[in-house]
Amino acid sequence: MSIELEHVSFTYSKGTPYEKEVLHDISLTIEKGEFVAIIGHTGSGKSTLIQHLNGLLHPTKGKALLDGTDLSGKTKEARAARGKVGMVFQYPEHQLFAETVYEDVAFGPRNLGLTEDEVEQRVREALQFVGLDYDALAQRSPFNLSGGQMRRVAIAGVVSMKPDYLILDEPSAGLDPGARRDVFREILSLYKKQGIGIIMVTHSMEDALQFANRLLVVYDGRIIMDGKPAALFRERRKELQDVGLDIPEIYKLKDALRAKGLAIPETVTDTASLLKEIRKRKGLK
Amino acid sequence: METKQQAPFIDIKDLSHIYTDTENNEVLALDKVNLAIRPGEFVAVIGTNGSGKSTLARHLNALLLPSEGTVKIQGMDTLDETKLWEIRQNVGMVFQNPDNQIVAAVVEEDVAFGPENIGVPPDEIRQRVEDALKAVGMTEYRTRAPHLLSGGQKQRVAIAGTLALGSNCIVLDEPTAMLDPQGRKEIVGTVRKLNKEKHITVVYITHNMVEAIHADRVVVMKKGRILFQGTPQEVFSRVEELEELGLEAPLAAKVAFELRKTGMKLPQGIITNEDLAQALA
Repeated sequence: MSIELEHVSFTYSKGTPYEKEVLHDISLTIEKGEFVAIIGHTGSGKSTLIQHLNGLLHPTKGKALLDGTDLSGKTKEARAARGKVGMVFQYPEHQLFAETVYEDVAFGPRNLGLTEDEVEQRVREALQFVGLDYDALAQRSPFNLSGGQMRRVAIAGVVSMKPDYLILDEPSAGLDPGARRDVFREILSLYKKQGIGIIMVTHSMEDALQFANRLLVVYDGRIIMDGKPAALFRERRKELQDVGLDIPEIYKLKDALRAKGLAIPETVTDTASLLKEIRKRKGLK
Repeated sequence: METKQQAPFIDIKDLSHIYTDTENNEVLALDKVNLAIRPGEFVAVIGTNGSGKSTLARHLNALLLPSEGTVKIQGMDTLDETKLWEIRQNVGMVFQNPDNQIVAAVVEEDVAFGPENIGVPPDEIRQRVEDALKAVGMTEYRTRAPHLLSGGQKQRVAIAGTLALGSNCIVLDEPTAMLDPQGRKEIVGTVRKLNKEKHITVVYITHNMVEAIHADRVVVMKKGRILFQGTPQEVFSRVEELEELGLEAPLAAKVAFELRKTGMKLPQGIITNEDLAQALA
């Protein structure tokens, strides 16, 4: 299974004096088993790009396909294909609207025409999946939950649609470190246990390094890098910084250590391995 | 030190804030907070979502008023309605979302909006706008349309707006949460410069601990209370406590903490990468 972009270009306000091509001839295949992070500065075209992956925007040129079905089509198949790609927007908690957590999460499944029993089942599963206690929270107002909980309710609303792919636009923006860990625990378990493909836009180089197995760098409407996060941060840091991005903190720490004569191997990209290496170098266990 | 003898710029005494939520429960968002901030001090406030940081920030220019206790800005009580405008000129606010704070179609008009509203003479407005844009490094963008700027540039325009109004204190509530790395760097750099060179008092609320490293003081909040505070070196050395709170010490502090745990002798107060490298060299 895969989502495929074939030579996709996109022009905003086509046919008006304001028309502007913001994506230029992008070709890309994302398999279902991948966890993809997309980084790029504000205005690089990331958001436009991800909206092509579930048919919210249609290419001006080229094609966006899910398992061969054109996502911009008007057929039943095209609609079903779009339904397989869930989208969690930036600050999704701003889109909560119902009086109770239950009603909010149930909105999508109910629109699928499921029976109320099936809807309840979906809501239970989805809340459980994002680590929220159904009995304690289902009848609460979503607006009185903490920021992290609200975000998980919003994610549950998308998960309840049982997508094959989940697109998340800056899932950790504005969350404290604890809430960020919680949200990523859920995202990782969706990825690992249910095999859902994850496509995540982020401004956090740490998130990209820690969670993704593939990194796409978008600049000026083009994908300028595509590879393993650790390798790109290691080998192309200069270019990353030139396009307004950064490298994760651990690489900066390793630079500082190297400057003082303590060179840590390239392969070390997480705290545990770094500690091990420092202890080894300092003759400690 | 001379600064210590000065009267506080912000003086908060036994401040409580109670509000009623949509389920009709009374919520105690701030619980007897005491905090004094010196003129020219750079204070970072950290805490989890819902710890009361943003509520506290909104008390600093009378967007919220105390349920109990007092907040004084240069001696002016926020409950004193006759001082309201003076307080708001003294304390500028910059919020998280850069797109919600722009009112005009041209950068310099946006920055001029505040002083125009308080009746500053046109010549002086021109001077203030020029100075403010220069202070945030946005002079060359003065005739641009704000909506075409990057997030970091928009936030700098918002900061310039507070400067043009004559604020000598800026309260920033997670100003970088929605910005890309370049934008984050711009804001951190601008705020530090204003603090160092223009002695602007800064209250900086953030979830990003690395941004709090350069503060004079870090205040940690939990459930509407100040749990502990100190220099960044003191606060970020309490690695385990921070983690229990759902916060996180900077990477260098965490690494130093773990190394000490297994018997490595390292000096106290390691919080930057350079500190750690120096200690291990």
